[in-house]
Amino acid sequence: MAGSFTEWVRNRSDDELLELLAARPDLGTPAPSTLRSLAARAASRTSLDRALSHLDAGTLQVLESLLALSDDGTPARPEQVAAAIGAPEAGAAVGHVLDDARRAALVWDDADGVRPTPGLEDVLGPYPAGLGPVREGEPPAPAELPPGAQPILDALAWGPPVGVVPAPGTGPRRAVDALVEAGLLIRSDARHVLLPRDVGLSLRAGRTHRTPDLDPPRPEGRTVPTAGADAEAATAALEIVRQVARLITSWDDAPPSVLRAGGLGVRDVRRTALLLDTDEPTAAFVVELAASAGLVADDGEAPASYVPTVRADTWEQADDADRWAELVAAWTASRRTPWQVGSRDEKGTLRAPLSPDLHRPWVVRLRAAVLDVLAAQPGTALGPDEVMTVLRWRSPRAVPSEAALVGLLREAALLGVTGAGALSSPGHLVAAGDGTRATIAAALRQVLPAEVDEVLLQGDLTGIVPGRPSPGLSRLLDQSADIESRGAATTVRFSTGSVTRALDHGRTGEELLAELAGRSPVPVPQPLEYLVKDTARRHEAVRVGSATSYVRAADPTALAGLAEDPRLAGLGLLPLAPTVLASSVPAAELHDTLRRHGLLSGLEGPDGRPLGHVRRTVRLDRAAWSRRPATPVRDTSADARAAVVARLRRATPGSDGPGTGTGAPLGAAEPSTVPDGGTPDRASAADRDGPPLAGTVVGPGTSEPGDALALLHDALRDGRTVLVEMVGGSGTLVRRELKPMRLEGGRLRALDPVREAELTVAVHRIASVEPLD
Amino acid sequence: MPDGPLIVQSDKSILLEVDHPQSGDARRAIAPFAELERAPEHVHTYRLTNLGLWNARAAGHDAEQVVDTLMAYSRYPVPHALLVDVAETMGRYGRLTLASHPVHGLVLESTDAAVLAEVLKSKRSAGLVGERIDDTTVAVHPSQRGNLKQALVKLGWPAEDLAGYVDGEKHAITLSPTTKPVYPGEDAAAWEPRPYQAQAVDGFWHGGSGVVVLPCGAGKTIVGAGAMAKSGTTTLILVTNTVSARQWRDELIRRTSLTEDEIGEYSGSRKEIRPVTIATYQVLTTKRKGVYTHLELLDARDWGLVVYDEVHLLPAPIFRMTAELQARRRLGLTATLVREDGREDEVFSLIGPKRYDAPWKDIEAQGYIAPADCVEVRLTLPQHERMVYATAEPEDKYRLAACAPGKNRVVEQLVAQHPDDQVLVIGQYIDQLEELAAHLDAPLITGATTVRERQKLFGAFRSGEISRLVVSKVANFSIDLPEASVAIQVSGSFGSRQEEAQRLGRVMRPKQDGRTAHFYAVVARDTVDQDFAAHRQRFLAEQGYAYRIVDAEDLDVVQ
Repeated sequence: MAGSFTEWVRNRSDDELLELLAARPDLGTPAPSTLRSLAARAASRTSLDRALSHLDAGTLQVLESLLALSDDGTPARPEQVAAAIGAPEAGAAVGHVLDDARRAALVWDDADGVRPTPGLEDVLGPYPAGLGPVREGEPPAPAELPPGAQPILDALAWGPPVGVVPAPGTGPRRAVDALVEAGLLIRSDARHVLLPRDVGLSLRAGRTHRTPDLDPPRPEGRTVPTAGADAEAATAALEIVRQVARLITSWDDAPPSVLRAGGLGVRDVRRTALLLDTDEPTAAFVVELAASAGLVADDGEAPASYVPTVRADTWEQADDADRWAELVAAWTASRRTPWQVGSRDEKGTLRAPLSPDLHRPWVVRLRAAVLDVLAAQPGTALGPDEVMTVLRWRSPRAVPSEAALVGLLREAALLGVTGAGALSSPGHLVAAGDGTRATIAAALRQVLPAEVDEVLLQGDLTGIVPGRPSPGLSRLLDQSADIESRGAATTVRFSTGSVTRALDHGRTGEELLAELAGRSPVPVPQPLEYLVKDTARRHEAVRVGSATSYVRAADPTALAGLAEDPRLAGLGLLPLAPTVLASSVPAAELHDTLRRHGLLSGLEGPDGRPLGHVRRTVRLDRAAWSRRPATPVRDTSADARAAVVARLRRATPGSDGPGTGTGAPLGAAEPSTVPDGGTPDRASAADRDGPPLAGTVVGPGTSEPGDALALLHDALRDGRTVLVEMVGGSGTLVRRELKPMRLEGGRLRALDPVREAELTVAVHRIASVEPLD
Repeated sequence: MPDGPLIVQSDKSILLEVDHPQSGDARRAIAPFAELERAPEHVHTYRLTNLGLWNARAAGHDAEQVVDTLMAYSRYPVPHALLVDVAETMGRYGRLTLASHPVHGLVLESTDAAVLAEVLKSKRSAGLVGERIDDTTVAVHPSQRGNLKQALVKLGWPAEDLAGYVDGEKHAITLSPTTKPVYPGEDAAAWEPRPYQAQAVDGFWHGGSGVVVLPCGAGKTIVGAGAMAKSGTTTLILVTNTVSARQWRDELIRRTSLTEDEIGEYSGSRKEIRPVTIATYQVLTTKRKGVYTHLELLDARDWGLVVYDEVHLLPAPIFRMTAELQARRRLGLTATLVREDGREDEVFSLIGPKRYDAPWKDIEAQGYIAPADCVEVRLTLPQHERMVYATAEPEDKYRLAACAPGKNRVVEQLVAQHPDDQVLVIGQYIDQLEELAAHLDAPLITGATTVRERQKLFGAFRSGEISRLVVSKVANFSIDLPEASVAIQVSGSFGSRQEEAQRLGRVMRPKQDGRTAHFYAVVARDTVDQDFAAHRQRFLAEQGYAYRIVDAEDLDVVQ
């Protein structure tokens, strides 16, 4: 038999072989060396599996039926198959199905009829169409059925043909035993019985299937008038275009950063959702859509951010319909799965929008399939369940994931490819897949509400655009009012804030009013007029600029002509008031330049008081006192000194006599700061802060960090041993006798004579140093 | 209909183009289920809310009718999701009903066992229901009737209350065909309820319990009296304050068969319980040692009817008490269902659905309330006052702006422009009012004025003896000043919309000679005063009163 299939393949014409390779591309890669190997590959399990996964339920039914009918090696004719699947009148249709299958080498034929390709049984088996195995040997002679046998046979008749043997001693068991005895059942193992194929077929009256499944199902759905679907689609389309535009503007101002693993962070998603006034899944879709259309992208900088692209600029110039067509084109080609955003991957990481993780090659095919299902039933709204029913018929061996289906339908609705659940007019063009951007845009233009160029202004400071605002009107309203409600009409509200925004864009109050009046069929209501005028009056009443220094004088004549003097052009003088000039150069330079030009200027401090007439004095002042007189000056009185000594004493128990000064244990609170032997400033700082921290903890060794280092340096020089107190790994204090060997780079290398070991200590871990006598 | 007057937005707002030839029909068609949100000159905005849709269901409208109406008058295709939502929301009302069972007493019944199961599973209904009788019925303890209804609204399954009411103690009340004089000098005159008042009473009576929404000045008291006459039982009337209580009493004596002896006042000063008792919210909510001391009033008699005046101000404790009064007929009267505390759903569940609603403008068009001319007078503060204002502490700013001395002169000018009108000057700050009263040589009524003195002054004002009156915010609620045709507001309490409605109501009463009412708000320019004013005026504009702005310097051209 197999040989004959090879033979059959070998006898194919070139055209037929081309057809075969087109139907099953996997057969051609890598190129088979001989026709024999092509035939072997066509009959292999993997290739057949792949071929079957694209077949619809009808074709699979025909193949199963053929397999069941021709199992004994006899070929079958299409009419036989049609009769077996319960559609005797559909012989021609079955013939077509078989022709297609033959082109894909799933069946082959000779003069007698059609046979299944070898290997098909393994893939569709073990019980094609729920029919049991072919009996070996002769069928039994017809006899009376044993009692209780009919229900058992009925239960197994339509498959699966495997039954569990009932417990011994029961009535059913006796019936089963009798059936086995009569040859109507076969014992496959100790616990199971099988219904042989011939018995099954005769129980089914020669049929292999109960009902034919040749035609795709047509789910009920809900009828949606075209106008309704188009209106909803138009609303959705305008909304998605607006949202993408909004996203671009916002990311232009504040580009969100790219996560290290790629993608947009949770907080940025939330912010985007807030910005777009929508939920996070929708926001994720908008972000993905904008990226798919190449309108935003990773800027490749370090650290990376998402920024609008050059394409975004051209996109923003286009009209609504063209912009939409661009987005839809990007969507149909996209392999992204935004609906997975927010779910977790195998490692438990949250999937982020724009992350490389959301890439699936099958998305395009599934999307096309979904749109195709919708297109097959125009004017009908199909939910995920209904679409799933059809898709399940189309490829029962490769059923798409529910989540992906729901996600794609949602995306179609968000884009306005569907409206109210049914394909919209432009959506049909998208589904057909043969529309250009221009035709798709034109189709959308057909269904968009008419552009309206007027806004009805009302006394409560609202305005109503009874339709879709024209681009010009839209720009005007975006700048000068807040949108309250969108849809078939747009409601806007004017407020001080919104009018300020318009004024910030460079309009004057008069211009804004004139523009509004020009677009309103009714006169501008008085409250709105007052609002605009009042806001304009206060707008920029207080102005802010930058200057580095200034010149002022009590007498305006003193400053007269300075700003215009060409010799002073380098000072960037700007008259702010008759008595004040601002300058863009530092005060000292300004002062010097003015002096050079014969103006007896004087410098003044931040409080407006003269800093002094001669520069020398200024310098002396700084040296003598701190630049900030507010800083408390150290009290150098005798009492204060005595207090310092007393405090030192208190903190150093056991050394309460004079003369222990230099030998007193010294501690280091922060050795890293300086080894220069304690300036008076530093000492005063320590005094102000109270006893150093190390001192309070340790008891002995209250001194300057510098002193501890000095002590170590001394010991190093003299080769002496010191008692060092260090902060150990667990934060506890450790006392060691150490002989310093090296002190550099913030580290002390020292010998521990007791343990005869060398150790290295970071200087900042040394709490105190005591000399050993 | 491609050219209808409505535009239905997917955010559940409905825009109505006023100038459209069909706008009247459309307005009438959508009024039962959509709430009018604002009514400026060209396009009115309605909104669909769950409560609104349930109100419509309670009034016997079904989802199909609503959907048909929207589609019939809409200019553009109606968003599909919205229609589905309407049908779903309306379908929720009435799935559950409270009924009186011959054996089990008060029961909650459902046509849908699943809904009942869902409701019973919820924590909100725990402890409110008794034993399960069968799949679709559960017993309810009579005392929890109100709480259960409240819980069900929160759960989104409002119950229809068909359990009926106790009859109450009979007490014959009829409307008199001619008014009985209450004040000396008043003449008896023939009268009858206006058509909309009669409709409101019928609507209420037919529905059992519920709320009647009528604008200020449209005669809500008469609706109350009508309901009492229909009921013919003892009645408890709850009002906002004592002055309002006396007003009710006068009005009842004037227009019904009730005599002074049959009407009791239950307030801070008097505790009378009579067949018709008028109590103030305040006395009911008085607590002593954590206990409401006057609760027994609710059970003092077998009331056949409870009337709530100004439902939108009903304090929360009264809601709780009302929850236990569910077996008595309840009538709520208000000018607006909007509550600043957002407890609209409690009004719906505890007092009842809206039974009658008449838009302000319609009643005005019928000539029952006076048309009004609203003017905002903007006063530019002199330089030195602006300086003081600019440097003032934020918490003092409003007071400073509101009490700008320049306002006195403006008020004087305004008063001078209305020599023949009854003028009411309303303000917030007593100092300012005292100054104004001295300036205008007019009597002043504040919270400190005794009730007797107030009534004397109101009486004098009513009779025209005095034509100028300066009042503080005590005048906001429920006092009838029939002939005040000019109101001048010099300061308010931080831009409350409710206050604005009340104040406008002061001048909205019909005038005998059909004169236009004037409402002036004097506002200091470029201050918070102006910001608050803007908020309040938005309300006026939304109610359909176009207002003008006039600079104080140009006051001469006002008239």
